[in-house]
Amino acid sequence: MTRLRLVASAPGAGTAELDTMAAVRLPPGRHGLPADLVRANQRQRMLEAATEALAEHGYGRITAARVTELAGVSSRTFYQHFEDLWACLLAAYETEAAGLRGAIEGACAAAEADGADRARAGIAAALDFLASEPAVARLLSAEPPPQVVALAAARRDLAEQLGTMLRGAIEQGGTIPLPGLERRLIGAALALVATRSGDGDPRRLRDLEPELSELLLPVL
Amino acid sequence: MPSDALPAREAVASGNGGLSDEQVREGAMEGALIAAGEVGYREASVRAILEHSGGHRAQFYKHFESREDCFAQAYATWVDRLCVDLLEAAASASGWEAGVRAALVELFRFVSGRPAIARALFVEVQIAGEPALSRHEAAVERAAAALDGARAEIEPERAPPEATGVFVVGGIESCVCEVLTAGDPARIWDTLPELMHLAVGSYFDREAAEAAFEEASIMLERDRAKQGGEAG
Repeated sequence: MTRLRLVASAPGAGTAELDTMAAVRLPPGRHGLPADLVRANQRQRMLEAATEALAEHGYGRITAARVTELAGVSSRTFYQHFEDLWACLLAAYETEAAGLRGAIEGACAAAEADGADRARAGIAAALDFLASEPAVARLLSAEPPPQVVALAAARRDLAEQLGTMLRGAIEQGGTIPLPGLERRLIGAALALVATRSGDGDPRRLRDLEPELSELLLPVL
Repeated sequence: MPSDALPAREAVASGNGGLSDEQVREGAMEGALIAAGEVGYREASVRAILEHSGGHRAQFYKHFESREDCFAQAYATWVDRLCVDLLEAAASASGWEAGVRAALVELFRFVSGRPAIARALFVEVQIAGEPALSRHEAAVERAAAALDGARAEIEPERAPPEATGVFVVGGIESCVCEVLTAGDPARIWDTLPELMHLAVGSYFDREAAEAAFEEASIMLERDRAKQGGEAG
């Protein structure tokens, strides 16, 4: 996953780079950092906080107040960035979904093998990505409230993209013999990930690769 | 979405209407699920529950500590009943594959007949979180264990992965969630062939899965033709 990191925080010396570190809170007061860097840092902290707050409280009890508390920003700052809590969660979802797709694409591209072996590399990379951040696994796999239409649509889109990526990896593109089946398979895989990510042991997610590959690949 | 709202209970609103404590409790639990299914768990207040069940707040709080407590108790009761109904349907069929099909048909009847409650049980539970979510996971494990009955028909060297049962139940659930979220519960019937493919293919092989798909498709067409004939 790509995250904004503050490299130097001395007044006037602010700069940023993208890497895998979590966003840090900027020094208070006058620090001379560019406004766009401050804004990007705040946004990143709120996205991470929303993911953590969801893991803590679930969709039923998560609040914008908890997100701002975890992010260390004011309510005013929160609403300058996002219309509401759901817009923040949607942004977090889309960011992490892009990270997951990137991890799969990278693993498939780097795999020397073809066909099913390449797809296995993609599945392993996906599980590794999710296992490294249990809160992200929860965000991406849990069913969102259907009333939040954009979030529910984002989850459906991700499921379709994962199915397409897997089929592409095993080089069986073209028409799917049973159109609904691919959605069911990815839905089943996400449900399995949700179950395993909820038990508090990320290693169990990584161990799923052989089983998931065996269940998904012969049908896809 | 078809409504499965309870009939109005004006009699209860003006007292206990001659209903027993257990009937009042049952009504509130059903009301909690319907309210959650119709307006979402976050919006399903005690007031919304009472609009469905009738009765007063005092009666409600005699049985439940809070709306969360009411939803949790309702969830446990209804999910257990649904599990029993599905397992009985499966047990009444001859063989594993016919049992899976019978259980799916029973599930589809519930989803299309009581969509608001189904939405509470399958979709809103994810929003509600604990303790209902633990009950949900227990129900998934129970259904998965029943599906694992297929292993008796499979040679040990061809045994499917340990996670197969949870995988298949997850696929079925995601399908139910999809049609309920789309507000089109009757569409669940269209998914019978692909869910049979998912279940049979996950335990056996692609050939068996495709045969199960065909059989379910034929069964659906036959039932629809029969219903069309009766309607005509």
